[in-house]
Amino acid sequence: MYFGKTAGIKAIFPGIIFLLFSEIAFAQKIVRYDLYVKDTTVNFTGKLKRAIAVNGQIPMPTLTFTEGDTAEIYVHNELNEETSLHWHGLFLPNKYDGVPNLTQMPIKPHTTHLYRFAIIQNGTHWYHSHTGLQEQIGMYGSMILNKKKETVIPTVPIVLSEWTDLNPKNVHRMLHNASDWFSIKKGTTQSYSEAIKQGYFKTKVANEFKRMNAMDVSDVYYEKFLINGKNQSQLSQFKPGEKVRLRISNGGASTYFWLTYAGGKMTVVANDGNDVDPVEVDRLIIAVSETYDVIVTIPQVNPGAKPIAYEFLVTSEDRTRSASLYLGEGIKQLTSPLPKLKYFEGMKMMNGMMKMNGDLDDMGMNMSLNQMDMNLVMYPEITGPVKGKKMKEAGKPAEMKGMKMDDSKKPMESGHADHNMYNSNALSSITTLNYAMLKSPLNTSLPKDAPVKELRFVLTGNMNRYVWSMDNKVVSESDKILIKKGENVRMVIYNNSMMRHPMHLHGHDFRVLNGQGENAPMKNIIDIMPMETDTLEFAATESGDWFFHCHILYHMMSGMGRVFSYQNSPANPEIPNPKLAQRKLFADDREFHFMAENDIATNGNDGEAMLQNTRWSIGSEWRLGYNDHHGYEVETHVGRYIGKMQWLMPFIGFDWRYRKMGMDEVETNLFGQRNTKDKRSILSAGVNYTLPMLVSAQAEIFTDGIVRFQLERMDIPVSKRLRMNLMVNTDKEYMAAIKYIFTRYAGVTAHYDSDMGFGVGLTLNY
Amino acid sequence: MAIVLLLSPFLSNAEIKNVSTENVKIAGSCALCKEGIETAAFEKNTSKASWDKDSKMALVTYDSKKTSIDAVLKKVALAGYDNDRFLAPDDAYAKLADCCKYERAVKKQAVAEKKMTEHQHGAMADTQKNAAADTDPLKPVLDAYYAVKDALVSSDGNTASTNATNLVKAIKAVKMDQLASEQHMVWMKVMKDLDFDADHISETKDVGHQRDHFSSLSDNMYKLIKSGKPSEAVYYQHCPMAKEGKGANWLSQVPAIKNPYYGAQMLNCGKTTETIK
Repeated sequence: MYFGKTAGIKAIFPGIIFLLFSEIAFAQKIVRYDLYVKDTTVNFTGKLKRAIAVNGQIPMPTLTFTEGDTAEIYVHNELNEETSLHWHGLFLPNKYDGVPNLTQMPIKPHTTHLYRFAIIQNGTHWYHSHTGLQEQIGMYGSMILNKKKETVIPTVPIVLSEWTDLNPKNVHRMLHNASDWFSIKKGTTQSYSEAIKQGYFKTKVANEFKRMNAMDVSDVYYEKFLINGKNQSQLSQFKPGEKVRLRISNGGASTYFWLTYAGGKMTVVANDGNDVDPVEVDRLIIAVSETYDVIVTIPQVNPGAKPIAYEFLVTSEDRTRSASLYLGEGIKQLTSPLPKLKYFEGMKMMNGMMKMNGDLDDMGMNMSLNQMDMNLVMYPEITGPVKGKKMKEAGKPAEMKGMKMDDSKKPMESGHADHNMYNSNALSSITTLNYAMLKSPLNTSLPKDAPVKELRFVLTGNMNRYVWSMDNKVVSESDKILIKKGENVRMVIYNNSMMRHPMHLHGHDFRVLNGQGENAPMKNIIDIMPMETDTLEFAATESGDWFFHCHILYHMMSGMGRVFSYQNSPANPEIPNPKLAQRKLFADDREFHFMAENDIATNGNDGEAMLQNTRWSIGSEWRLGYNDHHGYEVETHVGRYIGKMQWLMPFIGFDWRYRKMGMDEVETNLFGQRNTKDKRSILSAGVNYTLPMLVSAQAEIFTDGIVRFQLERMDIPVSKRLRMNLMVNTDKEYMAAIKYIFTRYAGVTAHYDSDMGFGVGLTLNY
Repeated sequence: MAIVLLLSPFLSNAEIKNVSTENVKIAGSCALCKEGIETAAFEKNTSKASWDKDSKMALVTYDSKKTSIDAVLKKVALAGYDNDRFLAPDDAYAKLADCCKYERAVKKQAVAEKKMTEHQHGAMADTQKNAAADTDPLKPVLDAYYAVKDALVSSDGNTASTNATNLVKAIKAVKMDQLASEQHMVWMKVMKDLDFDADHISETKDVGHQRDHFSSLSDNMYKLIKSGKPSEAVYYQHCPMAKEGKGANWLSQVPAIKNPYYGAQMLNCGKTTETIK
């Protein structure tokens, strides 16, 4: 006993030293994760489909670090294809940023790659594959960087995502071929018959006159939306009265999500991993790849009463489907689903904003920061239910008396409340978060004395051809943007395209100039809606090459991005051959997409096949009769799309024909040119131009001097699944066809053709 | 016989396969509820329900490979009917026909509790303010008036009518002898008109008509409130466009403009012209 006591006293001094030492050791803690990337099959919809799982799970495991740790992440690629991992929103050395062919070479199949970097920040972040379309099929996960002293509140990391049963490569191909299969699935065809039924015929005509296809808020149809990999789930551990922090990342490839909660308001406390002054909202939309920290309260119940769970509802922006997480135990209190969008109202709004040349006109509204949401004309919860049937039942609502808005009137002319026309917080009692409401608790000003480099970007795109770009150039068509360490870079970005784009900068946070002065919030993704202009600025403090791109996966793969490159950076050891890497990087948006269609009809077999990329189109059309009299004909065109809207396409062509006409039959065209040749193989040159009403006009001259002029309108949406084609040309040929779409790959066509007569057939398309 | 045999697979095809059945309790009160519940639970070849008005029990039949009892009951709850697994959203419940507004057991408790805790909390945190509020005899009238105003802001004629009924009650319940002498005088002058307008708002569901009365109601409320000292600040607000350009006023508990004369059409047309404290 005695002995023990003395020893204890003597031990105090070394003990203190030991404690100090352990503090230091704690600060330099190395946290290691081993990630095994492997093929798997999943069943989200009742069908077995291929996906990629990491450590056997989708989403990938949540990686947790504390500020000051060193991360050591071993990626074991057990796939038969390349992969990579990008640490979204993290500040780290350029060579660990995880962009294949830019900051490192891809991780080859069956090799291991180490990412090792210090954690020098805190907040909610996430990580995902930056290779191809792997992010769509499971490669996303939460990455939580805790503060050294984190507030004690129950916390749940949440990663949102979507699932499609289609192979994402096929999704990408279908988008590029303007397939309307997704809108059929979503019920958003917006055909003429639907337009007439709902009283929007004029709107639809005006829309097509301005060369627009059906408008939509999302590109892809998804079968399921997921919260941490599940469509419905419950966290029963939370008790009534408890507050819970949800650390939400949107890991969806192309889906924006509305977040609503059955238990009252939500308090937004952080965005993109940076704290903001708490804001209470009824709902918020989370852009693709954004993160939000949101605190919700599970309402109290009577003493002795059974607890109630409250629904946290996540709805895709197109409102086709949703996913639910129930917080708390017991019977589940639901929140109402968001009502369906009024698409024709949206179409009307787009008509008003679209100029004939394809530019957007904001009518002097200076939109920015998501404060005005043009889409709200489609939100029944804010602008009232769909017109038509319901309206009559309700009699004439009083609001309609005072202020009647004429269709033809532009918003600005209606006087009075214009500045709030599209401001949902002013129009309703529902509080929706926008970027102007975010305020950093810290002074985020940039160094005052640094030189300023100002860059202006216009986001450009063309939905018809699914080309997405900046300043009408894709990644492979543009140079790196050179910046200098030590300067302040200011970006002014205007969205002149018809879709919203979540623009993400790698390796840096930028300030969003949102009227909060010194307390401008720090973000690394900014969602820019059509016609909005946003100003961002960041201090250039790193080195190397950093990607800046639209985070909608299919837009990024189409080339919507730029590379910021620090001048005089040391060579990146992970990129041994920069030329090769660049070629591989550019290959993404240079990719050609294939489509084909063939109609096997009673009067012949005709079809087309096309290979297209951002600018080039190689297409072949054939009409093969069943006898020599009807003849066989193949026309091939190689053309290049010109201009931002890509309405103009000059081309060179090759025409081959064989047929047996009667003895004295001679074909004469409208210009009196005669054509007797039954065997023809001839070169041509011509030009295609898309006219209003989406009519394609084609002028072509052949080497034998024959001239042909042709007008054609394909795929007129008659009803949800019915399409009409019309064609006429100066060879006195004409064609009318009507096609019913049964499935993604098959339909039935009835057509009349001046050469081959009437026919009915099965149409297969790919 | 052969025909029957041939047809039978088709017939059974048209019905629910992999049948599971379950007896569950679903709240409701009338025949209209039965229709609502059964429609919500029905999906061709997938699920159906048969609900009994007296026992409140429903027999749910569903294809266990295509759906689940939870999915079916969720649809029923979203249509407004509380059940074993899910509670309906408040707005879905509110949309039910009047005969179908069943007593919400669990929900009511929760709401009552919430009110109670708020009350307790208020009492503990700010006894003085609470006491003042309790002694202001016009507080219930003002609160009922605000409820009517808020219903008009959301252009909800039904709720405005219900809330106006409460306002009539609140007006009748005022104990005049508790009013200060100056306010007492004003009260005597405006009481009849207040009652008249409130009564008319409660009698109609036409928002336009309600708004006409709300305008004179508001003017009298203003006279009344201004003659005393309200326990909480009252914001007197004006929209120049209302009543076809003649302009109209209203009182609000918050400084932010939410226009009761136009609702969503021009929600924040107007400005605060006076703050009564």
